[in-house]
Amino acid sequence: MKLRTLFRLLAVAAVATGLGGQVQARDLRININADPEMIDPITFSALIAGDVLRNVYQSFAQVDENGKVLPALALKWTAQPDQLGWRFELRPGVKFHTGRPFGAKDVKATFEALLTPGSKAGLQLPYLQRIVGAKDVQEGKTKDLQGVKVVSDLVVDIRFTAPDVLFPIYPFMFFDTQVVGDKGPNWFMEVSAGTGPYKFAGWRRGQDVYLEPFKDYYGGAPKIDGVRFVIVPSEETSVTMYEAGELDVLMVASTDLARRVMRDAKLRAEAQTISAAQINYLGMNQNLYAPFKDKRVREAFCISIDRDAMTRGLFGGLAQPLYGQITPGIPGYNPAVKKIAYDPERAKRLLADAGYPGGRGLPPLKIANLAPFRNEIAYYADQWKQVLGVTVDLDIMERATFLRSLNAGETPFFSWGWTADYPDALYYLSGVWHSKSPFNRARYSNPAYDALIDRAQVTADDQARYKLYHEAEALLLDDWGTCGLFVRTSVAVVKPNVKGVKLAPMRMLPYDKVTVN
Amino acid sequence: MTAYVVRRLLGLLPVLVAAVLLTFAANRFVPGDPITVMLGDQGGNVELERKLRGEYGLDRPVTVQFVDYIAKLAHGDFGLSFRYPGVPVTQVIKNALWISPSLAGAALALAVPIGIALGIVAALRRNTLADTGIILVLVAGLSIPNFALAAFFVWIFALKLGWVPVAGWTGWRHAILPVVLLAIPAAAYLARLARTFMLEVLQQDYMRTARAKGLSERLVVWRHGLRNVLIPILTVCGVIFGGLITGTVVIETVFNIPGLGRTAIESIFARDYPVTMAIVMLFTFFYATINFAVDVLYGLVDPRIRLEARR
Repeated sequence: MKLRTLFRLLAVAAVATGLGGQVQARDLRININADPEMIDPITFSALIAGDVLRNVYQSFAQVDENGKVLPALALKWTAQPDQLGWRFELRPGVKFHTGRPFGAKDVKATFEALLTPGSKAGLQLPYLQRIVGAKDVQEGKTKDLQGVKVVSDLVVDIRFTAPDVLFPIYPFMFFDTQVVGDKGPNWFMEVSAGTGPYKFAGWRRGQDVYLEPFKDYYGGAPKIDGVRFVIVPSEETSVTMYEAGELDVLMVASTDLARRVMRDAKLRAEAQTISAAQINYLGMNQNLYAPFKDKRVREAFCISIDRDAMTRGLFGGLAQPLYGQITPGIPGYNPAVKKIAYDPERAKRLLADAGYPGGRGLPPLKIANLAPFRNEIAYYADQWKQVLGVTVDLDIMERATFLRSLNAGETPFFSWGWTADYPDALYYLSGVWHSKSPFNRARYSNPAYDALIDRAQVTADDQARYKLYHEAEALLLDDWGTCGLFVRTSVAVVKPNVKGVKLAPMRMLPYDKVTVN
Repeated sequence: MTAYVVRRLLGLLPVLVAAVLLTFAANRFVPGDPITVMLGDQGGNVELERKLRGEYGLDRPVTVQFVDYIAKLAHGDFGLSFRYPGVPVTQVIKNALWISPSLAGAALALAVPIGIALGIVAALRRNTLADTGIILVLVAGLSIPNFALAAFFVWIFALKLGWVPVAGWTGWRHAILPVVLLAIPAAAYLARLARTFMLEVLQQDYMRTARAKGLSERLVVWRHGLRNVLIPILTVCGVIFGGLITGTVVIETVFNIPGLGRTAIESIFARDYPVTMAIVMLFTFFYATINFAVDVLYGLVDPRIRLEARR
């Protein structure tokens, strides 16, 4: 009997949908070039997963398309007088997708879940290290994270062992930790537990990831039926799908495709472009290649590259010269950073002064990178040959080997990039050039620079901190510890009937305000 | 007949064992290291590297890894994927599993009748304009790589005419172009064989006898001729199916179909050994099964064969 009722219901539903056929379901369809690496907020640590999860999980703050920090789950945050803590006043009326209200205890519970031994937490884990008691939880000594105090339902205090002025803008992903207990370790494939505008609704491996609108979203329920991330590994196929109307948004991953898009009048008219939050720099390891110890040699290599010609020619205008080590659109960027002029005469003279006239006497040199970036390093090598008379061989490596060698500080000479995870210049300055950072891949070491960055790290006042960034950046650049090369331009193509999709320096903004006509 | 089937089944075992051995060896001894790939930006983090190597059992001698692998395999456990940390291989390939053999099977089902019909028509009209025309088409079908043809077909049928979707895998319409494209070279190959076999059969004494009996030409060709052409064609079908399964690797990539072929490519690039191995074994299994089926059918169609096997 029950079964029959079910069939009857199904029949009614079928008729209803058939009748309502005119009202077409409107999903937003976007390509991603591989399966998400993971789909849970705990182990989250990779790019594609981030594109999806940004719509499902949220942090204290969010960033707009200009890199401006806006309140999200917290309305207000104030530094404690001794700089060793923050008080967060949370947004009232926020609900999890599970229906439970979000509050101060969930902040604490999320942090504890991330720190729990065996949680395999990803990108968010390093951001918790300075919280008082984090180590004890991580080592399994206690389950209670001492440094996080629930003051009231919507107020939470967080204490640190050392000041952490950027804590409010870290990209956390708060989730309803009760689901772990209810549904077990694979909860994230079954339920959605965030607070964001969309709920995770399914992932068909190799095919798509589907998000449904969250009706109780505090910012107002999204106006579309859902977001479908279509997994399309082949770039060629993704363009054809966009042209045939099978995608609403075409995310352009490679420079080759970006150039093609911008050459096609129709696609170009629908394209959005913005400078990516990624620095590309020249890495010169002074310990591994002795001539780099001489500042004149470093400068000679840097000023032999014609950045204007390169961004116009090699990138077809889809990049801008990068002179400093901070990208535009990221708070702390210095628009007045000194330009690096292409100066072949000076470069030749500097190299001669350093004792290597016309490159004579220089030990053999190779510049390392990956196959997709062969054109870029080939261009540099050609410039060094033409301007300085130095032969630099290309060392094309396999990705994993290259990264390992970079992180181990074993690559004498390379060009590489660094993409911002949170919107503040400190991400570049401390991550890539502080001598204590594991990602200081050129092993640059300058105590004066380190001191400025250390001070910036404890300066809560934005303007004062930015001033320190500019000082430190100038120090690094004047020392020719590195030089900026270019900032890539991100490109996305959006159908004219889709409104509210916004490409930002740190990839796509959440799709909460999107409409599809 | 049972003895024949059992013997054929036992013959499958060494094939599968060889496949396991070869893929295991190829995966382990090829340059590149899955843990380094897994570490990504954390590459060079010695502590984490050692931990991961331990978790995945990659710190043990290769022989131990192999024995362990075989033992788990016997329980249907393919291990954990390297690319998706902590996810079982079975989960990664579960949805993809039926797609490639279905595509290959559909393509074969399409290719066999078309190929045979074309081949026989060409043979009957030997050295006429029709024959030459058919041969020309067959050569083209065999020699144009199907990814090139795919781009052309997508342009015409998806972009210009809008009859079929460009790519994806959400409905039966998505299967049309892939199946047709897979079937084209298979049909061409079958047609060439059918033509040759038919020409040979037409020369046979029993054909002359049939004609001498006064049977109509139609009956002679379709009853006596076709049946004798079918036997060798049947054998070839097993081999062709193998080719089709392999062909799905390219076609699935072009049409963005989440089948085993595309998964294979992705896992090879990610050095996801366990997934790669599972897929190679599945492909071997499909291939062996089809050939087994062909052998059995062959025995049914032609009693001489199973009688020989008994001796």
